[in-house]
Amino acid sequence: MSAAPGEPGLGPPVGARFFCTAGRGLEPFLMREVQARLAATQVEYISGKVFFSTSSDLNMLKKLKSAERLFLLIKKQLPFTVSSVSKGKIFSEIQRLINDDPGNWLNVISIWKNLLELNTENEKLPQRDTNPLKRKVGENETLVAKKSKTEQTRKIEENMECQVGKQREEETLEQREPVATREELPEAASENDVEKAVETHPQGQLTFRVSCRCSGTIGKAVTAQEVGRVIGIALMRQFGWKADLRDPNLEVFIHLNDIYSVVGIPVLRVPLASRAYIKTAGLRSTIAWAMASLAEIKAGAFVLDPMCGLGTILLEAAKEWPDVFYVGADVSDSQLLGACDNLKAAGLEDRIELLQLSVLELPLPSESVDIIISDIPFGKKFKLAKDIERILQEMESRLFSISQDCMFAGPRGRCLHRCLHSTARQSSAERGPVNSQKADSPRVLHAGGTIVLLLSENHYLCLNDREESSLPVNSKGSHTDEPGPEKCSNPEENIDIPETVSSSQGASNQEYFCKMSPFGSLVPEDCYKVSLGKTEAFMCKYRKAHSSGP
Amino acid sequence: MKLLTHNLLSSHVRGVGPRGFPLRLQATEVRINPVEFNPTFVARMIPKVEWAALLEAANTLHLAEVPTEPVEGYECDEAFLRKMHHVLLEVEVLEGTLQCPESGRLFPISRGIPNMLLSDEESES
Repeated sequence: MSAAPGEPGLGPPVGARFFCTAGRGLEPFLMREVQARLAATQVEYISGKVFFSTSSDLNMLKKLKSAERLFLLIKKQLPFTVSSVSKGKIFSEIQRLINDDPGNWLNVISIWKNLLELNTENEKLPQRDTNPLKRKVGENETLVAKKSKTEQTRKIEENMECQVGKQREEETLEQREPVATREELPEAASENDVEKAVETHPQGQLTFRVSCRCSGTIGKAVTAQEVGRVIGIALMRQFGWKADLRDPNLEVFIHLNDIYSVVGIPVLRVPLASRAYIKTAGLRSTIAWAMASLAEIKAGAFVLDPMCGLGTILLEAAKEWPDVFYVGADVSDSQLLGACDNLKAAGLEDRIELLQLSVLELPLPSESVDIIISDIPFGKKFKLAKDIERILQEMESRLFSISQDCMFAGPRGRCLHRCLHSTARQSSAERGPVNSQKADSPRVLHAGGTIVLLLSENHYLCLNDREESSLPVNSKGSHTDEPGPEKCSNPEENIDIPETVSSSQGASNQEYFCKMSPFGSLVPEDCYKVSLGKTEAFMCKYRKAHSSGP
Repeated sequence: MKLLTHNLLSSHVRGVGPRGFPLRLQATEVRINPVEFNPTFVARMIPKVEWAALLEAANTLHLAEVPTEPVEGYECDEAFLRKMHHVLLEVEVLEGTLQCPESGRLFPISRGIPNMLLSDEESES
């Protein structure tokens, strides 16, 4: 059935080297995740990619939530020096990526096949009719070239690391449309992955396609198209593979820039960021998951998203942290319908409740919520600083705060200690000795609730520039009066994370965190600047320190 | 809307404050929805429950066998947890109303989703 090498019963590859692409700003999350989920070693973040080694199997790898795509690494080396104008010289250097160590290529491909096979070792794979494309060499070159051109165009989008961008311009909460709808759930696609991988031509030939990205100095000297062609030809000559631009067994990914030259093969056809369980995406799934991970969701918590839209954040959270009470709320009928649909499609309609309400008037008692996670709409609706402040105030008062009074802090019924003693305001829960272990425990400081928000740059600046919080901010983000205090960076500057951030973790998030101001009883704890494709956003975490009032 | 959710909602009509809880439930369409029993989860929800409000709502819906209070050692009491699981998570109010006990304002529930939106006059600010 399977023509691929690998013995039955062979364990997963030991310490294979992978890399993942990640949206800008999410790299610290991904680095933490590979270590936590996959016990990854040799983890490095370089220029938009996180490299790591792990012996985890495909099921575990597929669980990565903050990555865009997953690749097996074939080669990573120093960037090509572009000293002369001679393209020929550059091309022959590029060919060496294949010809210097063809054994390595075959090795990685065999690792890849093992990964995919082990995922479905109990399935019988249907023998599909292969239809090898018969082409002359010349035709192949042209086709490879044409495809590389499309790759180059696609590359521009891919550079944003977002295939499903969130619309941020001129949007009100009510008008937000679902950004992407998939007809077919990607789960079906992953089965195709396996079929494609193991279905090889006679003599172990594969069909392939090259996807190439060039930037920096080398990007000025050669085009992605040209590089793709050179690689394609070298592969055909070295291994006898055939090019198939529409539906190849294997994709070869090559990225050349000023920092490195990287060659890899995507492990799956579909990006990890495309979730099988999300029918209609709102916020990018990777960012939604990252926000949930920042919130420190623990079993038994009550988690609220008061501007849930299509429910993406709650879907991601519920999949990862199941024993939790999730409530999503929105003003808009259409969004709630979409959310309802999404919950049903994901099979989570029993685990996430929906409400229709306004975040400016939360119909919840004070200190009733453990965690609030929300993506605040960027558009006109909450343009003024006072709107954002109002939202935060509403949330702040509903959030559970630090208390020293009892085991399960919080005035509202949640204190079981009180429930079973007479100080409770309900007369029904009066009697009964408390579980003696709890009664004798010393008073415990119970940490306050957390808020994790995704803010536009505008909102972020409003909140952290409190002296001018009463001034309206125009659509470009600049204040109408004098510039704010030094700690607030000039809103008109491009706040750019340099491409060449080395493996230091969280160097950039410290910069944004330091600029955060407390809000009432909300103490800033963390801040990450992330890319949403067209725009950027700030993921801000606060913790409630104490109750700010009645 | 599950009863666990009802247990958390209060009226935000202007001037009402803490007297806006609990909302009086009235249901015209209720569905019993089997939900996978997760004892750990139920046990963790018990401390969050406002019992008087829960009993009042359960009574309106004529639910039988509703525990009136948490029992000692409830975390290990499967019978208790199963009853609570049923009351809190398996009873769905699909159509009905929630009424502010102070102002009398009615909030509709349709397709299982309560609409808590206030008009400008009704809201706090």
